[in-house]
Amino acid sequence: MEIVQILAFGILMGGVYALLSSGVTLIFGVLDVVNVAQGSFLVFSALLTWQIWDLTGIEPLLLIPVMGALMAFFGWIIYRGLVKRVVPQGPGMTVLLMFGVAIAMEGILNIAFGNKFKSVTPPYFTQSLQIGELVLPYPQLISGVMAAIVLVGLFFYLKLSWAGRALRASAQNKDGAALVGISSIKASSLAFAIGAMTAGVGGVLLIIMYPIYPATQYDWIAKLLGIIVLGGMGSIPGAVIASMILGISEAFAQAYIPQWSAAIFFGVILVVLLFRPEGLLGEKTREDVTT
Amino acid sequence: MTALKKPANIVGALLIALLFLYPLVGGGSRYFESVLIVCMLYAIMASGWNIISGLAGYVSLGHSVYLYIGMYTGAILGKMWGVPPMYLMVLGGVVAAAIAIVVGFITLRTRSHSFVIITIAVLLLFMTIAQNWKGLTGGTDGFIVKQPEWNKDNPTTPYYYVFLALLVLTVALVAFIMRSRLGAGLVAIRNDEGKAASIGINTTLYKVTAYALSAVPFGFAGAVYAQYLGFVTPTTALAILMSVFLVLAALVGGRGTLWGPVIGGFLVWGANEASTVLAGELSARLLIMGVILILTVMFMPAGLLPTISRFVHRRKSQGSAVAFIDQASIAQTRDVAIDSIVARTGQSTDPAVPELEVKGIVKRFGGVTAVDGVSMTVERGSITGLIGPNGSGKTTLFNCMTGTFQPDEGAVILNGEDITRQKVWTRAHEGLGRTFQITRLFKSMTVLDNLVAPLEKTSVRELVAGRYSGEEVDRAREVLDFMGLAQFEGQEAAALSFGQQKLVELAQVLMLRPSIILLDEPASGINPTLIEKLASVIRRLNDAGTTVLIVEHNIPLVLSLCDRVHVLADGQVLISGTPDEIRNDPQVIEAYLGPDHMLEVNDV
Repeated sequence: MEIVQILAFGILMGGVYALLSSGVTLIFGVLDVVNVAQGSFLVFSALLTWQIWDLTGIEPLLLIPVMGALMAFFGWIIYRGLVKRVVPQGPGMTVLLMFGVAIAMEGILNIAFGNKFKSVTPPYFTQSLQIGELVLPYPQLISGVMAAIVLVGLFFYLKLSWAGRALRASAQNKDGAALVGISSIKASSLAFAIGAMTAGVGGVLLIIMYPIYPATQYDWIAKLLGIIVLGGMGSIPGAVIASMILGISEAFAQAYIPQWSAAIFFGVILVVLLFRPEGLLGEKTREDVTT
Repeated sequence: MTALKKPANIVGALLIALLFLYPLVGGGSRYFESVLIVCMLYAIMASGWNIISGLAGYVSLGHSVYLYIGMYTGAILGKMWGVPPMYLMVLGGVVAAAIAIVVGFITLRTRSHSFVIITIAVLLLFMTIAQNWKGLTGGTDGFIVKQPEWNKDNPTTPYYYVFLALLVLTVALVAFIMRSRLGAGLVAIRNDEGKAASIGINTTLYKVTAYALSAVPFGFAGAVYAQYLGFVTPTTALAILMSVFLVLAALVGGRGTLWGPVIGGFLVWGANEASTVLAGELSARLLIMGVILILTVMFMPAGLLPTISRFVHRRKSQGSAVAFIDQASIAQTRDVAIDSIVARTGQSTDPAVPELEVKGIVKRFGGVTAVDGVSMTVERGSITGLIGPNGSGKTTLFNCMTGTFQPDEGAVILNGEDITRQKVWTRAHEGLGRTFQITRLFKSMTVLDNLVAPLEKTSVRELVAGRYSGEEVDRAREVLDFMGLAQFEGQEAAALSFGQQKLVELAQVLMLRPSIILLDEPASGINPTLIEKLASVIRRLNDAGTTVLIVEHNIPLVLSLCDRVHVLADGQVLISGTPDEIRNDPQVIEAYLGPDHMLEVNDV
């Protein structure tokens, strides 16, 4: 029973990771940009949620669409204002740019919210759902389920909508997509907006589970980046699988050797990369003479 | 360029001299000495980072981990052995390099961005270990390190000079690497990694070596820094911030330059000191540093030194435009003793063994079988053609031969030796040279630099040899002369026309002394005069004993040049024969023009 309990925890957490990391991997797939500022986007959304909740006492889950839209807009601005201009200089420079964005945002958040833990505590914060012997705390349960819903929605959006197809086309072949009328700038803006949107939604989900303060961005970005490397850069299914691996291995580590949980995940990544340098579902870069 | 390097060297030497003199004549203010120590520490770290991230272009965001590794190595071993950590700085460097080799081997084999990410993960992993392995590291509290007798009054001056010495050594190391073939190879990797491999550069070895070397100064400095601080603690946030600072320092100063990261170190830490005095708390500093990083990336991506030198250069060189190049003289093969330039020694010359042979090659992409069981030979000393309609599998087969793809089945045999699983660079060492359909020269390097970049083998001697040492340059000049390209020697490759670039690329491949050259559509996109000249170069090379395989759409060129032609269709060999046999074969006409055409012909 204990194992089922741990597994359930792991899968719920894995769902949240999956939502957040698919945002990062989508941006990478379409733009070739490693968004190391995703952690700070996430913390920004979480702290903003805290602020609104603190002032109004509103049910935090109602803020999910608000924060999602807000962060999508924020991501769009960051792309149009900063990233677009640096993309021609190559991935090394965009990573440094996003690093700068992350650091600057941490500074701003520190000044605005102070360097203290904040958490949102709705009434169900300490309650749990009991199914037989299985105990599922509501914050984890709600977050995991909400993340899964948004992720499935995102998946169908990418699979079925015209915009989603355009994004996938642009991810596979920018020039080809441009030839059939898909503006790479528009596709990139959309990808960045969606990536930031996942951070917006994720921020609300996180703050009802964990206390957050500005510097926690490092823990989150390290996990998210680890996930997309493990899953294979640019692969959303890969990110989902890697998220489950992280969620479950972390849950087991939490139960038995709590202080080593982070180390175990990074250890797993290094071992996997030793045998599959391109990640679980990553494709080997096809290097053709014509490209 | 040499003229530009000099002012930077003078500025650098002046900086070092001033730093040397300051404690002697400056009255020895402890505060300023301590600020300068940290400036030097950042200059050392930024210079080390420059080796992997500036020269090779692989951005590491977690490099401060190697400083911590140096600190902990010095402190832990110092405690065990009762020795002050500073005396163990060599061990700090060795341990940092050893860990970097392991990390580098895991993460640097691919060309992807996972490297950037893993460097952050490695930093956090190390911090987790340092925080939790209490028995060894003292956990989050860390521990106080053993101090030597002379350290009783906490003097700063001795540390000041130790850091200065480390700074000089680090700059010397970077200067040495930049002048060596290792450095040239790293720049080639930054320019175009696939191309670098194709001209014999063992890219994995180069990258791991550069990564390990870049960790060494961190390890040395860490052991000294631990003793200077008097304690070690794992502070993740501080470690990340340190990475930000050192990356910023290298970027502001000018990554890829010798003195840029040094000057950047002083500027960035100086700015940080000033903003601590002015703005005080950490949050404001984070904001300021983040904004500076964003602004630098957006408006001065090359960094301060290159920007200044470009400005100066533009002033100086106004009016000296690129000389007009006489098209007619290009590729007029001169009477150079070509045999000595390209002759390959120590290889079997048994005519019974084909130069290159493929056996039952199968390559699938998803559900598409691009190459379906192709077997063919390229006889020694021949000019062999490989033709076929679009989609027939020529390029895929070509890529299996050069090592860009691994075939799903079958074998590639070069001079009787199975090379199917060999790396691209090993194939180059064993005599297989290739050109690209769309040329892939190192655009920012001069033609001569492009020609001396290829490596005939991988050895330590080659790595540490000077970029322009030995008869390398003489031979490069002879090859250029042979190709009629001598006047381009000092031009940047990017300044040449496409046709000229194709010739330079062929010249570059000749530097490998290949026994076989694989030409990928050499005639596509260049004018007919140049095609003629190219053909005559190919004939002369062939006369000198080099085997040539041409993949080409220009059928008349192939039929006029080749001794033997293989025709591919639908991933299989349709027919092999002499140009005459190919020209008149109905199957070939059908493959190119389709069955409908044949029907029409028959009807008529």
